[in-house]
Amino acid sequence: MKVICDRGALVSSLGLVGGVIASRTPKPVLTCVKLTASAEEGLVLEGTDTEVSVRLTTPRVEVAQGGDALIPADKLQQIVRESVDATLTLSTEQDVARIVGKDSKFKVFGHPPTDFPAVTTFTGEADFTIAAGELHRMVAQTLFATARENSRYAINGVLIERTGNKLVVVATDGHRLALARGLCNTDSKETRSAIVPTKALNLLLKLFDDAEETVHVRVEDNQILFKTDQAVLGANLVEGNFPPYGDVIPKDGDKKATVATDALVSATRRAGLLTNEESKGVRMAFTADGLTLSSRAPEMGEAEIAVDLVSYEGDAVDIGFNPAYVLDALKVVDQSEVELELKGSNKPGVIRSGPSFLYVVMPVSLQ
Amino acid sequence: MEQPRTIFHLDMDAFFASIAVLDDPSLAGKAVLIGGTGPRGVVSTASYEARQYGCRSAMPMAQALRQCPHALCVDVPGARIRELSQAVFAVLDTFSPLVQPLSVDEAFLDMTGTQRLMGEPRVVAQRLKDAVRDTTGLVASVGVAPNKFLAKLASDLEKPDGLTVITPDNLDATLTPLPVGKIWGVGPKAQAVLSRHGIQTIGELKAMGQAQLTEHFGDRGTQLFALARGIDDRPVVPDRTAKSIGHEQTFGENLTRAQDVRAVLLEQTERVGERLRRQGRTARGITVKIRFGDFQTVTRSCTLDRPSHTTDELWAAARGLFDRWAASGFRSVRLIGISAGPLASEGDGHAQAPLFPDPQHERRRALDAAVDRIAQRFGPRTVHRAGPADPSG
Repeated sequence: MKVICDRGALVSSLGLVGGVIASRTPKPVLTCVKLTASAEEGLVLEGTDTEVSVRLTTPRVEVAQGGDALIPADKLQQIVRESVDATLTLSTEQDVARIVGKDSKFKVFGHPPTDFPAVTTFTGEADFTIAAGELHRMVAQTLFATARENSRYAINGVLIERTGNKLVVVATDGHRLALARGLCNTDSKETRSAIVPTKALNLLLKLFDDAEETVHVRVEDNQILFKTDQAVLGANLVEGNFPPYGDVIPKDGDKKATVATDALVSATRRAGLLTNEESKGVRMAFTADGLTLSSRAPEMGEAEIAVDLVSYEGDAVDIGFNPAYVLDALKVVDQSEVELELKGSNKPGVIRSGPSFLYVVMPVSLQ
Repeated sequence: MEQPRTIFHLDMDAFFASIAVLDDPSLAGKAVLIGGTGPRGVVSTASYEARQYGCRSAMPMAQALRQCPHALCVDVPGARIRELSQAVFAVLDTFSPLVQPLSVDEAFLDMTGTQRLMGEPRVVAQRLKDAVRDTTGLVASVGVAPNKFLAKLASDLEKPDGLTVITPDNLDATLTPLPVGKIWGVGPKAQAVLSRHGIQTIGELKAMGQAQLTEHFGDRGTQLFALARGIDDRPVVPDRTAKSIGHEQTFGENLTRAQDVRAVLLEQTERVGERLRRQGRTARGITVKIRFGDFQTVTRSCTLDRPSHTTDELWAAARGLFDRWAASGFRSVRLIGISAGPLASEGDGHAQAPLFPDPQHERRRALDAAVDRIAQRFGPRTVHRAGPADPSG
């Protein structure tokens, strides 16, 4: 195999593939990136941790001779990143890779390419297609809300649920829940759902570089596959049940406030300054005259911040929230105003941004 | 009649400086000063090598450097100090439920009544020192005595790496020749007053009558009268703000089957749950510690969905951590332990309710309450969970 690569493009491709490759694993081949060069596809990079795999075509490559190689990913990445040339020549002979620049020659010992586990390829029809920008929005609006570990429910992943061409993406950590809605393209009328591990979606967000590009999505057996123009990402689904999220979305919030997103972000940040591990709640007092945020940290001090409301309906209500949970949601809102729907101080609150984003958060008790 | 007490005082030797050496072995045997190097910097710890030049804790750094110009100034990160302090206290917790921290590197342990279970106090104290050294790589001095005053005095007598036992038999011989300044609360001022009466040693102090002492020192006089005789009945008060509650067990013979280790872990989890409930605390997280035959140790931690003291919830977390480790390659186990923490108080303000209520939660709480009541009446572990099913019988 012999290829001449644009160094900048190779750095970013190796960075993306490196996102799945484990640096410490009992199987040395899993620390490697597989390179495959052919006249048809150019240079293809593959990496896997056996749960998530990615296959990526590197742009701006000239293939002098086809072939494949299996090379320790972090070493190759370091060499390419530290090199100074605009282009690098990468060639292999047996299991040894040579990376040659104007003033440098590296020889790196690899492994036989046949030792590498087969990385999933996208074959067959897509279940649905969707614009990269839209899928990016829905994943970014929910991914942060996942739990780090499973509890009774499989919540260390994101639920992607499709009914016909309606897509719902949901994530929760058991205390708050983020939900994004959108539309996709499909002929299918059926309802399908899959829980996708967070690691795969974090990587997926990085693979998109053009909002208009079409993403093909397919669920088969216990896997989900995403295909863009340059890449295929495959991931084993999270096993288990997602909690009945529809049941916990309150529908009876009779106190409705509309507030400027930026103003609420700023006020919540400031009130959050005077909270600590023991008292991490910020009190939000809603009245027709406006919203007052207050907080108190024992032995430190207190804060009070007034926020104008664009509108308010219903009786006054006091409710406590973990400021971090509120800010998490406000960060992913893409509109200048948000709506808050409340029922009572011990009932979950809802933050809405238009019809496509909804966030449910449990209050903290204020004593 | 009240049972004679056995109190340990453990004091880490040059704690901060020793951490610096631990993290950078090239500092070993050198004069090391820990503390700020700015114009108002103060020495927080001096290594024993630096102490030979008169460098002391709380001395201005500039002065220390004049006395010992070749000393190396090192900064030890607070996180590292906390980490090792927690490791030391985790060891102490395995020796006694009554641990009173005095600072990050110093504590009293009430070991009264443990002799039959654990052995001679001197042997246990040596084991404590060894355990601290094995776990942290750091050296502690331990004093053993019938009360806190004497235990603290004892830990200082043979520092560093000291182990001093004061018993009623050697009490007088130990105390009499010591300068009065060794008595807790006798600072330079009191020493000056005593010195005017020709009193330099504790033995000489003992010769003073109680009335005479009260005349000079007021209420403190009564205390000095008692302390000079080695009498101090202050109890060891465990700090209510303990950072974690844990249990661990080293096996005489390594356990080679995962289910055997799991059964021990379950028993430890039940004990931790019971202690949490008794103290009205909840745990935000669980840490499982596993040491192999070759002394390599791994710890695995997770955060609980919400602070809990429910045995089943603690066990679900502990078992999950253990099983994930076991699945990734079980090796024979020399030590298994569980620690619950950081801790919160039950009914702490700002508790957050779960979004998806667990119908089993109330039933688990009721089960714990029933088991605790039975344990209170009939003794610990009268009823307990059957171990995980053992397929090999």
